[in-house]
Amino acid sequence: MATVINRRLPTTIARPGPSPMEFPEPSEMDSSDLLGIRLGLPIQIPLLARMGMSTQTGLIYLGTWGFLSTLFFFAGLGVLTFAGIQQMQGNVPLLIKYFANVQIQPPEGLGMAPSLQQGGFWQINMVLWAASVTCWAFRCYERCIRFSWRPYLFFAYVSAILLTSTIWVFRPLVMGSWAEAPALGLNSDIDWAQNFSVLWGNLYYNPWHMLAIFFLFGSTMLWGMHGATILATAAEGSHKEVAEIKDMHSGSHKSMLFWRWTMGFNANPKTIHDWLYWFSVGVVLSSAIGIITTGPIVKDWYVWGVDHGWVQQYGPMTRDAINGTPQKPAVGINAEVQPGIPAGQGGY
Amino acid sequence: MLSFEGVYRKRGGTFLADLIGDDPLDFWAGRFYVGVFGVTTIVATIIGIAVIALSIAAQGDGDLLRVTIGAPLRQYGLHFAPFYQGGNWEVITICAIVAFVSWALREVEICRKLDMGYHVPIMFSFAISAYVVLEVIRPLLLGCWCEGFDLGFTGHLTWVSNTGFKYMNFYLNPFHAYGVLGFFLTAMVLAMHGSAILGTYSTNADPNVETANVDNFWRDYIGYSIGELGIHVLGFWLAIYTLIMSDLCILTSGPWVKDWVEFWHFSIPWFH
Repeated sequence: MATVINRRLPTTIARPGPSPMEFPEPSEMDSSDLLGIRLGLPIQIPLLARMGMSTQTGLIYLGTWGFLSTLFFFAGLGVLTFAGIQQMQGNVPLLIKYFANVQIQPPEGLGMAPSLQQGGFWQINMVLWAASVTCWAFRCYERCIRFSWRPYLFFAYVSAILLTSTIWVFRPLVMGSWAEAPALGLNSDIDWAQNFSVLWGNLYYNPWHMLAIFFLFGSTMLWGMHGATILATAAEGSHKEVAEIKDMHSGSHKSMLFWRWTMGFNANPKTIHDWLYWFSVGVVLSSAIGIITTGPIVKDWYVWGVDHGWVQQYGPMTRDAINGTPQKPAVGINAEVQPGIPAGQGGY
Repeated sequence: MLSFEGVYRKRGGTFLADLIGDDPLDFWAGRFYVGVFGVTTIVATIIGIAVIALSIAAQGDGDLLRVTIGAPLRQYGLHFAPFYQGGNWEVITICAIVAFVSWALREVEICRKLDMGYHVPIMFSFAISAYVVLEVIRPLLLGCWCEGFDLGFTGHLTWVSNTGFKYMNFYLNPFHAYGVLGFFLTAMVLAMHGSAILGTYSTNADPNVETANVDNFWRDYIGYSIGELGIHVLGFWLAIYTLIMSDLCILTSGPWVKDWVEFWHFSIPWFH
């Protein structure tokens, strides 16, 4: 019987920056996990220090979940490559040349695909994808518990899985066909997004899409604000956030006062991370709602927007028949005083 | 006032004080620092909001989600348009840029007062560049203010939608793709950073121990821990990268590229 080694990681590390000697040996078992080993060697990249980043790369934990996740990932990659080569009739240079355009299509209907080429590859890939991300989520949770983290990261990762499974699994299930899901490929993702928007009456008028973009742009803005604030005060140690939450020093004082004086509101070293976290999780959560409502509930977001008084009606409504609403007269201003968009040019 | 705020609230060190020896606007109004650039921001904002209110009143549509102040018609080119046919848009755009730039300079003053780096105003300048590229530089290159985007809640969405289709398929714009990549990357890295801090703060351990714990977690999880300072460097540059890509994305559409589908119809000679 294998000896169970459950050793605490070394925790006394001199600031600043850890040195490789203080980390576990590559062969060391981390927990009772049969595959609970750390792979690789700690490699120092001095250039990273010039950018303020820590220099050590390497030592990655494997674990059973990590092993399974990697296995499924590479199996899926293998199936994709095989399907691509078969699509190009064995011509590998052609596959490389048209790499961006190769796509693995989903089958029609909700049943098993009639053949590998007509959706079978897609279905196998989706099963492997689901297995891989689920194992990675378990790995994330297991590592969070191992290091006594509150499982915020796990919840964020599950939210991201929720969005992708809404696009690839839940919405096709509700709509009754796997063909509603995007094909697998570089350009096919882009084409799906474009066609999806056009098909359902312009996704820009979907309020959940608006909210998702608000959170997405807001995430970039918050990174800009938070990253810039911390870098501007890092000389006084504001980047040592875990310590600053317990005991604030001048760096954090200045960070807070900067925003208080600039816009009348400030977070503190703890609450700024609440903002960061919920803005980024908000992106995927509101996207998921926007996707699942498009089709099952709302057929045409432009008509929806005009009906609810959000959107100006440009020209006649050609899609009124879809949700059975009668034609309404144009609202708002008329074409003479409405510059920029001549009547009939926008929308439909 | 925050408990420690009194130590930091000190007069002096402003542009105006350097220039004429005294700054009568060097004071705080409640939480806000005023300063000369605070005054210019407020003036530009009030004029802009007044023009917006006038335009909305003239349109007679009280629905603020739907009401739109359009860019000037094509016939006015790069000239001033009549007030209700795009002149209002021009005034609002000027006021907005004055307000944004004043705000950035006000941030510089606050940075100087607090003796901290200029990272925030630099970052904000990149954000302003997105607006200026959309409303000024690209219309100038195309020779018509009508190329600027319409102001309105759903009105600007209509403009984005129409502009995307005007260049056939905006998703095939590589800068658009790199920009979207940047937006999603910032969201992901933001979630990782937020999780790391919210997941570990105040576990009643020594902060050094907690930090080592965070480092060890990321090494186990993804094989690299970027460090407390490094994560903010990464976030800062990701945000700047995203803004630069957004600028290039709209700047190339029109002045240089008319059709993003056609754009990809090239062949590499040795790749046949």
